[in-house]
Amino acid sequence: MTPVRRYALNGAAVVVALATFWLWLPKSPPAWTAAEVAVLQSMSLSALPDLPPDPSNAVADNPAAAAFGRLLFHDPRLSADGTVACVTCHVPELRFTDGLQKGQAIGTSKRNTPSIVGAAYSPWLYWDGRRDSQWAQALSPLEDPDEHGSSRQEIVAIVLGDDGYRSLYESLFGNEHTDINRAFSNLGKAIAAFERTVLPSVSRFDDYVAAVVSGDAEQQSIYSDDEVWGLRLFSGEANCIQCHNGPLLTNNEFHNTGVINFSGEVPDKGRLDGVLMAFADEFNCRSHYSDDALRRCDELEYARTGLELLGTVRTPSLRNLGGTAPFMHKGQLATLRDVLVHYNDAPDAMIGHNESKPLGLSKRELRQLEAFLHTLDAPPR
Amino acid sequence: MIVHRATIFFLTICAALLLLQQNASAHGGVVEEDDLCVIKVNYLSAHFKIYQPEISGHKQYCEDLPVAAESLFVMEYQHNSLSMMPIDFRIIRDVTGKGRFARMEDIELIDDIEAVTVFYRPAALEPAVYTVMHEFEEEGDFVGIVSATHPDTGKVYAAVFPFEVGFTGFGYWPFIVALLVFIQFQFLLMSGRLKRWFGGAATASLLGVLLFPLGASAADLQVSWTIPDGEPQINRIQSWVLHIETAAGDAVEGATVEVTGGMPEHNHGLPTRPRISEEIGGGDYRLSGMRFHMAGYWEIKVTVTTDNDRSVVIIPLQL
Repeated sequence: MTPVRRYALNGAAVVVALATFWLWLPKSPPAWTAAEVAVLQSMSLSALPDLPPDPSNAVADNPAAAAFGRLLFHDPRLSADGTVACVTCHVPELRFTDGLQKGQAIGTSKRNTPSIVGAAYSPWLYWDGRRDSQWAQALSPLEDPDEHGSSRQEIVAIVLGDDGYRSLYESLFGNEHTDINRAFSNLGKAIAAFERTVLPSVSRFDDYVAAVVSGDAEQQSIYSDDEVWGLRLFSGEANCIQCHNGPLLTNNEFHNTGVINFSGEVPDKGRLDGVLMAFADEFNCRSHYSDDALRRCDELEYARTGLELLGTVRTPSLRNLGGTAPFMHKGQLATLRDVLVHYNDAPDAMIGHNESKPLGLSKRELRQLEAFLHTLDAPPR
Repeated sequence: MIVHRATIFFLTICAALLLLQQNASAHGGVVEEDDLCVIKVNYLSAHFKIYQPEISGHKQYCEDLPVAAESLFVMEYQHNSLSMMPIDFRIIRDVTGKGRFARMEDIELIDDIEAVTVFYRPAALEPAVYTVMHEFEEEGDFVGIVSATHPDTGKVYAAVFPFEVGFTGFGYWPFIVALLVFIQFQFLLMSGRLKRWFGGAATASLLGVLLFPLGASAADLQVSWTIPDGEPQINRIQSWVLHIETAAGDAVEGATVEVTGGMPEHNHGLPTRPRISEEIGGGDYRLSGMRFHMAGYWEIKVTVTTDNDRSVVIIPLQL
């Protein structure tokens, strides 16, 4: 080989190597189009509507009821052994979850503890949507043998036996407490009034969207290129936004995404059973204990049932990711990365059908998505 | 002459094996259909899958399992009536000596079934899907027995599926599979092929009838819609008002109106079951319970049935 030829070959190799390197280098994301900006705005907290009214709870927006509910929420006396309060599993510092696979109280609960932040916006509560209001939900753990392990009689007796509580109760609900179910449901309504005040706060993501909307280039630099690419993936190619939509990043609907069963347990049937439990709940929207004389219960009235719901669970909000690991309905996936890898693979569901499709994203893209997801997080108001 | 004799010999074997195969499935068992594993409990069938989640995650098995471990058996019913039938589930060590060919008759010959039972779950009603978990302690040959009791007649339908745990090699199976494939090929070539073509056409026309019910036409009626409280929105339950009129502009009153819908690109329906809650009059109908849970392209299908006509109108909707 002549020296000239050798130089030419070496040169070509260097050019190829440099070109490859250039291709591999991270690129600056393009500017957002008007249509994309509209999508970003739909996800921003500034698009969050006012709290939906809960006509079934007359004290839902009563500050005195919220203050009373806050006390009940933190009171461990409302349990079989005096050690379990709502706050035991819904820890404010952990975005009102507990950092465990499944809640630990008197026993071990059946699923991962969901956050309370922004729950007032959901027509259905629990992973399987087996309750249709926050107050009906608040009552269930009190009597669940694995959670508070108490009973409505005991709970009402404890509350009315405490002079401070009794005067708060009577100022809100009068002194009608011979109907034990009525009195019990009133306590749920006070707890719900408190829970309605637990709402998400502005995150770095919301600040970024505001900067994009106002065209403030300097303020937009609060996002790294990776975070911008992650947001592009989230609202585009990765399809996350299909279910994690709106300002709470959830549609509060039920989906099967083929999450593996919890070790040692048969797969969870989810909403298939949950919707029937909501219909049968003695404290549901149609019940005697609703405060809405008109019994406006569209969600129950038009709820879908049947096989399509097999293995589906409710989409969680993504505004509480910091502190809510492990993830999914039984805490099956330990880290956010595991969740992203799961959606990238989209394995067949063990029961029912996985609605998601494999994404084929690269490791870099998964990292960018993860970087973006962390920007959604902020402690609740 | 020799060739001829060989052919007859071969066909006899084929016939015998085919008979055997049909016999086995007629008594209930697990068979592969397309990509799916199906368990037949008499005339009732269910998708059948086994998982070993701790060992192999989402990997599905049809019969044989690679290791002795926690195993999850799933049956997704293809016939709704299984939801109404108490089902019991038993796994025994294979003492029939029949291996792959064990049938219900062989099981019935076992004197003390409890003594060889490694797992038993008493009859239970499980709607939609039956799931059961068993941790195998040792490898070996097993037989699964699924029994479903008819709630009215009390008749018991059973399926038997022999399987191996600690399945390491294929043994003589590739040979038999190859033989069966060849037989099936012969069978199709000789008689089934034309039939299959014909069957395909019949299926297509049946589908056509299902998709476009007789007497339905899209152009007969006009359906327009309004939303009293504004625009269609995601994640909010809303009421619509449908206005239905004939092509000539006459209001259609007293019709039965059914509404379904979904996202064709995502292959799913509406998250709710909307229905007409009130006929307002003048061709207006209140449609309640409308909800969308995703942005994108939706189609709302309105089926209008009157005394003498039935029309289907599709409303396209970009959210």
